[in-house]
Amino acid sequence: MFGFSRKATVLAGAMVLGLAAPVSAQDKGQVNVVCVLAEWCDAMRAPFEAATGYRMEFLNLRSNEALVRIRAESSNPTFDAYFAGTGDPHFVAAREGLTEYHDSPLKSELLPDLVSAVDGAYLPIYANPIAFAVNPQVLEQAGAPMPASWRDLANPAYKGLMGMADPNSSGTAYVVIATLVQLFGEEEAFDLLAAMHQNMASYTRSGSGALGPVGQGELGIGVIFMSSIVREIQNGFPIEIVLPEEGTGYEISGVSLVKNGPNPEGGRAFIDYVLSKEAQDLGEPTGNPQPKANMNATLPEGAPEMSKVNIIDYDFVTYGDPDLQSRLIGRWTSEIFPVPR
Amino acid sequence: MHVQKTEAVMAEARITASPWSRLTAAPAWAGLSLLVWAVLPYTREGRRFLPLDYAYHAVAMGPGAHWLLAVAALAVLLLYLAGPALGLAPRRRGDLAFVTAGLGALIPAAGLLYAGVPFGWGAMLGILGMVVAAGAALSDGGRVRGDAFVGASILLMLLFVTLFITVPLVMVMRSAVWIDGTFTLVQFARTFASPLFLFVDNPYTEVAEGARVGMLGGIGAVLGLASGVRVSRRRTGLRRAGAVLLWLLGGAIAGWALGIMIWGRGALPSTLLVALIVAPSATMLGFVLALLGQRTQSRAVRGVLGVASVLPFITPPFVIGFSMIFLFGRRGLVTFDILGIPPAMNPIYGIVGVSFAQILGLAPVAYLIIRGSLNSLNPALEEAATTLGSSRWRVFRDITWPLVRPGIAASLLLASIESISDFGTPLVLGGDRNFLATEVFLALTGRYSQPEAAVYGVVLLSLVGLIFIGSRIMLGVKGFTTVTGKPASGAFLRLPKGLEAGLTALALVWFGLIAALYLAIFYGSFVRIWGINNTLTVQHYIDFWQQGWPTVWTTVKLSFYSAVPAMMIGGLIAYLVTRHRFYGRGYLEFGSLLSFATPGTVMGLAYILAFNDGALLMTGTSAIIVLALVFRNMPVAIRASISGLSQIDRSLEEASATLKAGSGITMVKVLAPLLIYPLLAGLIFAFVSAMTAVSQVIFLVGAGNNLATVLLLSWVEQGRLGRAAAMASVLILGLLALILLLLVVSRRVDARNRKKGKPA
Repeated sequence: MFGFSRKATVLAGAMVLGLAAPVSAQDKGQVNVVCVLAEWCDAMRAPFEAATGYRMEFLNLRSNEALVRIRAESSNPTFDAYFAGTGDPHFVAAREGLTEYHDSPLKSELLPDLVSAVDGAYLPIYANPIAFAVNPQVLEQAGAPMPASWRDLANPAYKGLMGMADPNSSGTAYVVIATLVQLFGEEEAFDLLAAMHQNMASYTRSGSGALGPVGQGELGIGVIFMSSIVREIQNGFPIEIVLPEEGTGYEISGVSLVKNGPNPEGGRAFIDYVLSKEAQDLGEPTGNPQPKANMNATLPEGAPEMSKVNIIDYDFVTYGDPDLQSRLIGRWTSEIFPVPR
Repeated sequence: MHVQKTEAVMAEARITASPWSRLTAAPAWAGLSLLVWAVLPYTREGRRFLPLDYAYHAVAMGPGAHWLLAVAALAVLLLYLAGPALGLAPRRRGDLAFVTAGLGALIPAAGLLYAGVPFGWGAMLGILGMVVAAGAALSDGGRVRGDAFVGASILLMLLFVTLFITVPLVMVMRSAVWIDGTFTLVQFARTFASPLFLFVDNPYTEVAEGARVGMLGGIGAVLGLASGVRVSRRRTGLRRAGAVLLWLLGGAIAGWALGIMIWGRGALPSTLLVALIVAPSATMLGFVLALLGQRTQSRAVRGVLGVASVLPFITPPFVIGFSMIFLFGRRGLVTFDILGIPPAMNPIYGIVGVSFAQILGLAPVAYLIIRGSLNSLNPALEEAATTLGSSRWRVFRDITWPLVRPGIAASLLLASIESISDFGTPLVLGGDRNFLATEVFLALTGRYSQPEAAVYGVVLLSLVGLIFIGSRIMLGVKGFTTVTGKPASGAFLRLPKGLEAGLTALALVWFGLIAALYLAIFYGSFVRIWGINNTLTVQHYIDFWQQGWPTVWTTVKLSFYSAVPAMMIGGLIAYLVTRHRFYGRGYLEFGSLLSFATPGTVMGLAYILAFNDGALLMTGTSAIIVLALVFRNMPVAIRASISGLSQIDRSLEEASATLKAGSGITMVKVLAPLLIYPLLAGLIFAFVSAMTAVSQVIFLVGAGNNLATVLLLSWVEQGRLGRAAAMASVLILGLLALILLLLVVSRRVDARNRKKGKPA
């Protein structure tokens, strides 16, 4: 009677439903987290759910992708909290008003230095210095000495043996540039970067991209955040950590509350949980052996106490500024990257 | 005309019979729309996908454009139910109902878009219902040759193609020039000036690249001039001068472009150079393998070719790349341990590695295309030529080659587009080189710049467009030839013994390489750390089971959800474009071509831009992933169905129509059973491509619906190669099993049909 046969109508209906069927269910009790460190989040899920009664879902994205995602969704956020990854995107997010500061009651348990270094933009969860991942066998075969300082990286003996991330795609590489600029002044830093450029086998896309090749023996030295190196050593790769003697830069990874998220109370509860000793101690077993921000948290095996690492007084506010950041990266891209080697 | 008249008369006859019989398709669907509008919430808030929240019911929302939907639906119902009382001729009434229903869909949709409120169940189903009603009315008005089903399908398909292919791509272009609320070309200027995009005159090198490029342009111009003079011998005067000038210009541009590709750096020249290397090489390899596959007597060689040609379809795109690092990397098994190439001298990261991996991946595709056109060749032609005393070479040159040329051209076209669009390989093997498809991704995720990503997207789209236009003009390609072809009877000329042996050796080397790459993945999944600690372990599979399996299962579900509508929409579009003529037919074909040819990263970006807010808000849901996959993989189903449909005689449908079956019934009861194999193949290929897709969904995955390939990529990046290899092995073996199942089933069906004497 419909002109269409019943089957045709059913077919059309099925087609419409076929488009609509995979509906994502979310109810009020769910906390959505953008999570840069998937395994840590995975481990926190059950205890967090048990402790607070919220349900937790997370999406694993790289640091910068996380920021892009939160920014793209700013008119209509799907996430409540943004966990871990390099500090810069957290800063940028706070500056752009994508996240808001959560004055957590657990702040008193955190290392005051770390809390003040990020200056009310977000809450610190751990500090992570930049270090050299060195494969001694490779250097030995090439007849090159072990590096001890940033300036050593200019040694032509390392030609084709070094790897680092491309600052155009990775926050880690920017921290390296900013560290060198703070240590040596901009001109001298760029001279050193130019000399390092001569030794690079290639620039990688992700921050820890050089780590795999160093572990596999493709490269001798990678300039990388230390925590991933510790993890790779624990995984059984023949790598050693060298902390440059001039001092090194570091990042303070943190957790932010997304502004206007679907479940702000849940987001706050998640942040409070993340800062607790219990949650911080889940970091190491899941491959995140950084010194944690919570003073009561256990220091992971093999991780240096922050007081023993020669850390520069990293100026997060100045070097987190997007204009300075794009100027330095732009300079690197036009003055260093094109130089043949 | 005649058929329609009788239809109209019959419709009128039915209307006079009883009031109920006046409820034909158009008013019925309008009524459904009205019902949906009355019962379901009209809009929603936020990202919860289609909740039943009655705070957003149309009545609760107060006055607004949404009431027009109800008004229009009522009007359409009245037009038909009041029937003869209105004194309208049926065709007039059809036109009137079409306009009413059309406005009843358009105005509420425009209202939603203007207000930027996300659609709810009521708006979505209500508007779709009105579109169907309008389509049915279109056929009542005699504007479409065909019944209500055809009219409604046409409108629905036009709507879907516009909404999910055209609009997102327009959004990419808009986003490139519409920044912070103003029209500007700043982003284009900034990107084109960036060394990441194009960088020719490098002040830091001894070589003056610009001068060299100019010189090559000059050489090109001279060569162009020479060949122009030679070619245009038969023309005179102005026409000759014009032709020579054209050749000169062409030569200069070609030389200049080649110079930029060789000496330039940046995403544009790298991408073009790789495409220029890969497309001819893959096509060449595909061609000789196809020649061998068709003419060899050896079953083993044929079997090997058959297996190898399926592998690229079931392999996630970057897996070959990372297994190449295992074998040919700086510390690779072959390059370092066996050949002893010093790590610093190994060229794998960059143009060489990317080209090599792409050739391996695309040769089988070229093989299938060229094999199809070789198979459609009639062996009798070759036999005749030989009987008349032609040499083997002459037969090849004058008979085989001209007939295969369209296949070669299609393969060149497809391979260059695939190479340009490739995202996974450059990501893993690109090294210092930038590539356009990865730059879209890096601009968005590394440099946080949506406009820059959009500019790269526009550049990629234009390149693909240029290649299409170029291939149409120069090679006369009218689209992709179908991969399937009807084998003709008779025996082909055998290849000369020496050539056959050579080609067989080449095929075996090629297959050995592929086998080694896949074995490396399987082996890598069972050793603790590849190359460092070779103790056998199943730990990676345990890790995969715990951390990867839930994601793989989600992927299987979403891929299946996407494959079914992809097949149905593809089949329907194929039916419409082959069996009916209507306005917008070319647009449907173009739309499906567009979604096929658009690089995946650009499509992903387009979906983020189009569905991230406003009325069409869908990001962060599984639905957006499913939709992206449906429209990405639909063209495969269209191709499969078109080639199937072309083998079915129309008289079957005419017979069905004579027996008063509507076209919907004819499609389901007559065509679908005959098309079961192409449809099944379309379904499986849509499923398989959905399982291995990465570039088009990498921006779309959200909390709780991460996809296997995206997870695999992040494992590769974190250096968890063992676990990644375990997941890749499971995916490859699973999909291979599925394809084999399809083959077995299709053989069974063929055999059964042959027994019954039905056409296959």
